[in-house]
Amino acid sequence: MARIGVDVGGTNTDLVLECAKGVFYHKVPTTLKNQSIGVVQGVQGICTMAGIDPAEVETIVHGTTTATNITIEHNGAECGMITTHGFRDILHIGRHKRPYNFSLHFDVPWQSQPLVKRRNRIAVRERILPPTGEIAEPLDEQAVRDACALFRKRGISSVVIGFMFSFLNDAHEARAKEIVLEEIPGAYVTMSSELARVMREYERFSTAAMNCYVGPKTAYYLRDLDARLREAGVTSKLRIMQSNGGVSTVDSCARRPIRILMSGPAGGVIGGASEGEMAGTPNIITVDIGGTSADISTIPGGQLKIMNQRDTYVSGYPVLTPMIDLVTIGAGGGSVAFIDEAGAFNVGPRSAGSEPGPACYGRGGEEPTVTDAQIVLGRLDPDMALGGDLRLDADLARKAVEEKIAKPLGMSVKDAALGIIKIINNNMALAIRSNSVARGIDPREFSIMPFGGAGPLHGVALAEAVSARDVIVPVAPGITAAVGLLKTDLQYEHTEAGILILNTATDADIARINGHIERLCQCVHDELDADGIARAGQSLKIIAECRYQGQGFELRADFPDGPLTQDNKQVIIDSFHDAHEKDYGYAHRKAEVELITLRVIGSASVRRIEIPKVQPTDGSSIDRALMFVRPTTFDCGRTLETPRYDRTKLFAGDRVPGPAILIQHNSTTLVPPGYVAETLDFGNTRISKGA
Amino acid sequence: MNQMTKITEVDPITLQVIRGAFETIAEEMGHVLYRMSFSSIIRESQDLGAGLFDTNFNTLCESESTPMHIGSIPGYLRGIAETLEDGEWYEGDAVVHNHPYHGSSHTPDLAIVVPVFFHGRLVGFAGNTAHHVDIGAATPGLIIDVPDVYAEGMLFAGTKLYRKGEPNNAMWNYIRRNSRAAGQLVMDIEAQIASARLGARRFVELLEKYGEDIVFGAANQLMDYAERMTRQRISEIPDGDYTAEGWLDDDGRNRDQRLKVKVTVRVRGDEVEVDLTGSADQTPTAYNVPFEGSTKVAAYAGFRKLLLDAATSDTRVPSNEGSFRPIKVTAPLGSIFNPRAPASAEARFTQCNRMIDLIIRALAPVMPEQVIAGSSASISFAAYSGVRPSGDYWVFLEVNEGAYGGRPRSDGPDSIDNLMANTRNNPLEDLAMHIPMICDRYELRDDAPPGAGEFRGGIGVVKAQRVLTPAFITHESERHTDAPWGIFGGQDGACGRCTISNPNRPGEEKEMHSKFSGLAVGADDVMTYYSPNGGGYGNPLNRAPRKVLEDVLDGFCSPRDAREVYGVAIDLETETVDMATTEKLRFAMQRHD
Repeated sequence: MARIGVDVGGTNTDLVLECAKGVFYHKVPTTLKNQSIGVVQGVQGICTMAGIDPAEVETIVHGTTTATNITIEHNGAECGMITTHGFRDILHIGRHKRPYNFSLHFDVPWQSQPLVKRRNRIAVRERILPPTGEIAEPLDEQAVRDACALFRKRGISSVVIGFMFSFLNDAHEARAKEIVLEEIPGAYVTMSSELARVMREYERFSTAAMNCYVGPKTAYYLRDLDARLREAGVTSKLRIMQSNGGVSTVDSCARRPIRILMSGPAGGVIGGASEGEMAGTPNIITVDIGGTSADISTIPGGQLKIMNQRDTYVSGYPVLTPMIDLVTIGAGGGSVAFIDEAGAFNVGPRSAGSEPGPACYGRGGEEPTVTDAQIVLGRLDPDMALGGDLRLDADLARKAVEEKIAKPLGMSVKDAALGIIKIINNNMALAIRSNSVARGIDPREFSIMPFGGAGPLHGVALAEAVSARDVIVPVAPGITAAVGLLKTDLQYEHTEAGILILNTATDADIARINGHIERLCQCVHDELDADGIARAGQSLKIIAECRYQGQGFELRADFPDGPLTQDNKQVIIDSFHDAHEKDYGYAHRKAEVELITLRVIGSASVRRIEIPKVQPTDGSSIDRALMFVRPTTFDCGRTLETPRYDRTKLFAGDRVPGPAILIQHNSTTLVPPGYVAETLDFGNTRISKGA
Repeated sequence: MNQMTKITEVDPITLQVIRGAFETIAEEMGHVLYRMSFSSIIRESQDLGAGLFDTNFNTLCESESTPMHIGSIPGYLRGIAETLEDGEWYEGDAVVHNHPYHGSSHTPDLAIVVPVFFHGRLVGFAGNTAHHVDIGAATPGLIIDVPDVYAEGMLFAGTKLYRKGEPNNAMWNYIRRNSRAAGQLVMDIEAQIASARLGARRFVELLEKYGEDIVFGAANQLMDYAERMTRQRISEIPDGDYTAEGWLDDDGRNRDQRLKVKVTVRVRGDEVEVDLTGSADQTPTAYNVPFEGSTKVAAYAGFRKLLLDAATSDTRVPSNEGSFRPIKVTAPLGSIFNPRAPASAEARFTQCNRMIDLIIRALAPVMPEQVIAGSSASISFAAYSGVRPSGDYWVFLEVNEGAYGGRPRSDGPDSIDNLMANTRNNPLEDLAMHIPMICDRYELRDDAPPGAGEFRGGIGVVKAQRVLTPAFITHESERHTDAPWGIFGGQDGACGRCTISNPNRPGEEKEMHSKFSGLAVGADDVMTYYSPNGGGYGNPLNRAPRKVLEDVLDGFCSPRDAREVYGVAIDLETETVDMATTEKLRFAMQRHD
């Protein structure tokens, strides 16, 4: 039985295959127009490499940027929306805050690129009243039918239904959905109350609109991929990585594609978490460095953190769906270094991308990038990129750094290149800080885990900048995200508004909450049942999202085991106080705690990939792995004759003292002087200050 | 520049590193403040600012929250220096300050400042400002028609809430007894203190890591950098005196007196002066602008938008005093932009926004590619309040949005916070779950078109809020009489409106003045606010017919206006432009011009 993880990036599609014969890695170019072509080619290729028949593949887990790209390229479905009379423009007004404080010429994406154009947002009479959800005015069903007639005329078959206060009572949304399906058979319909049954109309409507916007195309892509794989003789189950770090089925993602908007980066974080486990180091900060951006995530105690729902934005639109807590910054190998008009030295966020790419690519790029600086400093060997598959031109790199940075600033080329690295590392260090220190996490207790092909060049510098404990380099840094896909569980979440002051809750309130919990658990069980998971294999976690009465932002609190009672509600209250103290450094222990949202997360374990161990050291010299020696410049400014080792020829327990560079096909690791790189059991590496 | 440190030249790389650290600290301070706070004006609207300062009150960094707060804290620091309890700072102090004649922006914006000590010596300050719901003024939440500054509520000047780490319990007790929203006020002040202390801690960590010389040297260079950038942009404007004028509706009491705003922009080389001479005298109500804390801050911000546009620039200019140095602001003492004590000066926002709008207008002839047409350039600030059966007050402050003028390359954004305002609205569902109010309508205006132009003005908002129990409303807004201006052939936008009505008494809609104070309303009374629509930029006949079609389909333009104003004929059945008729129409209209 074989399993494949396939992660589609902007440039490459990375694959990993695990079968009885071992673990195989493969890379093919991403087919940008339709990612499925590259995926199928890659799957066939890696099966050939492993010498197995595609029919032997049991499961394929896929990380995809298809849904995300629709939001970036603004080419989603033409959508219609049916909403409450008087509130036609909630999606147009948003939270009425501008993207910039100091600008007159700013763009407002939700107005210039609306998910649903105003002409297709039809307001109908209906009214549900707070705080109970009573119906004050019945739904005008004829108006819904009239709206459908207009949609038909305009060729629209993706319809959002978003009514005010539907989080209290979804009867009108449900009825409107029935009518739309009668009027436009086969329509792609999303109700705001079914995706995120929570208070706050703009965010809830936006979530539903995003689902309708990316839905039809994403569903088409997933089903098309499924079909192409079958044509290619693959009969396996296809699973999709979701933003929350769990995998899901094609069917479920086709209905709720908002759950896979962060599918791409999620694999990397999971891969990083599991590499932490393999290194016996649960506290890690992953830094996934690509060509244009870096994704950073903090993983305390091996537990992925989920973002606060107030922070989950995709391309400027709020989307209420659980996402792994990560920050993305414009810092990568292609980040451009430049001097601005008032003389300041900047690196990024603009990137040279892959066309023209860094100057050293020789594709016409004249501006120096981070990759060019690495070459100037001798940290990347121009003849060794991708095992020599990609030839780089060191002269072009040097020329770009010299002309654009060194000369204008009156410094040496070496110092200019060191400056580029220092500034980009600092940008990443600040992002790490914002994702750790700023949230009460002490980086001194964490290891930096750098990956992406160029990641391990930055690891030690980042660890120094944030005072992290040490650096752990994964087994295959260039392909960590694909490996991560084979290390995750099935996972589904459902939410319900349960607004209530806990301190003064009556028995009737508590009974209502227990009713909500029961329904949510049922929804989660239904999804896992549909995936063929036996009840015994399903595990459910209940979370109470709370705030102090009067606050606007919720934090997650624990829910007691078993049904809620007057006796055990204090569990939620105490857990909330603790969370508040941890996040903000302050708790109002006497203030009333308000429950806002109930969340149930259901998961089922899936078998994890097993990475084979490497041979333990036999005491022989590490010279067996020595490739050659070249001069390399380090952050301290010294240029030293630095040996290159073939990382794949190192044994567990081998210790490589810096200065050194570890080379493998998809990645390069820098070990500065004063540091030692120790090969761990799986061929992973721990770099720490040398004794 | 810190007095105790030598001038150190910091290399460009370290400079960027320290700049990043400063910015992260400021953002972290702002984040803690709004996430922890209780009143919607802070937690949802994020009407706050936070940053670090040196002992000469220069800004080292400031959070990107609300523009009106950015650059205002140094004024507070100067005011605190004049009034500080004990006459000196101790480690562990926390000061509250809001006195408008000692540098504050206006009284509801309380500053919390803590001193930063390094090796036992005062080296700077960490502080923040936040808008509080109620500080015990004459009317709940907001005031307009009051006699003097003493009607604004509690005035704090250099008042220590903590001395040497110990709480000043008498003062806390006093505060708790003097606000209609005491719970929110006290807990929000605590959030401010938590934020300021965090900033102080981070500041010390930074000093420990790089040393005083480098940190303050870098701060100094960053100010020089911002100054250089600003001077460069000013020098691109031709020298000259540029003037624009506009009218404010009234002062909130004397309904028949419009108030003039006159702006003269004097450009000389790489320096500029904003002279407000010729603007109205100070008013007898709260409709005045504190000079240090608001007039100057708004003028600086106006130039920052105009010269250092964050959306179109490749590089960002750090938020510090440097960019203010080449800009001089003049307003005669005793005028609406520089009142004499004890005039009240709480309701000052719309005047500030109008000044910026007129700076833009004054410069339009020489900066046609940078300016935009007239914006709503006002604000709607509404205070709703009432008494619950328990006898406790509920108070809700709402900031309503405006609209931008048309721009040289794009339409003015619709229904969005304008110029100096940049807050977030309150989720209507959250509101109605917690206070006795419900929103009946929140949409784009459809009663008046935006200013037509090659690039049209933005469309204002209409918001109808209904109170479910008897309540008081105070409303501060503008431009019921002077519509946003069109430019370069673009047409004027539309004036704002405000009405009080009741669904149980249809037909009894009452037109309100743009400002009113402490209006008592009954159950189910509805206040409906219509914000002004922006002016147009460029000749409407040059607007792409396709864009006119889109506007007609979206209801932003009537088919009739499409034909009569834009010269575009639309076939509504096929939802297309009738190109042949359009060409004929436009040809005839151009000749007619």
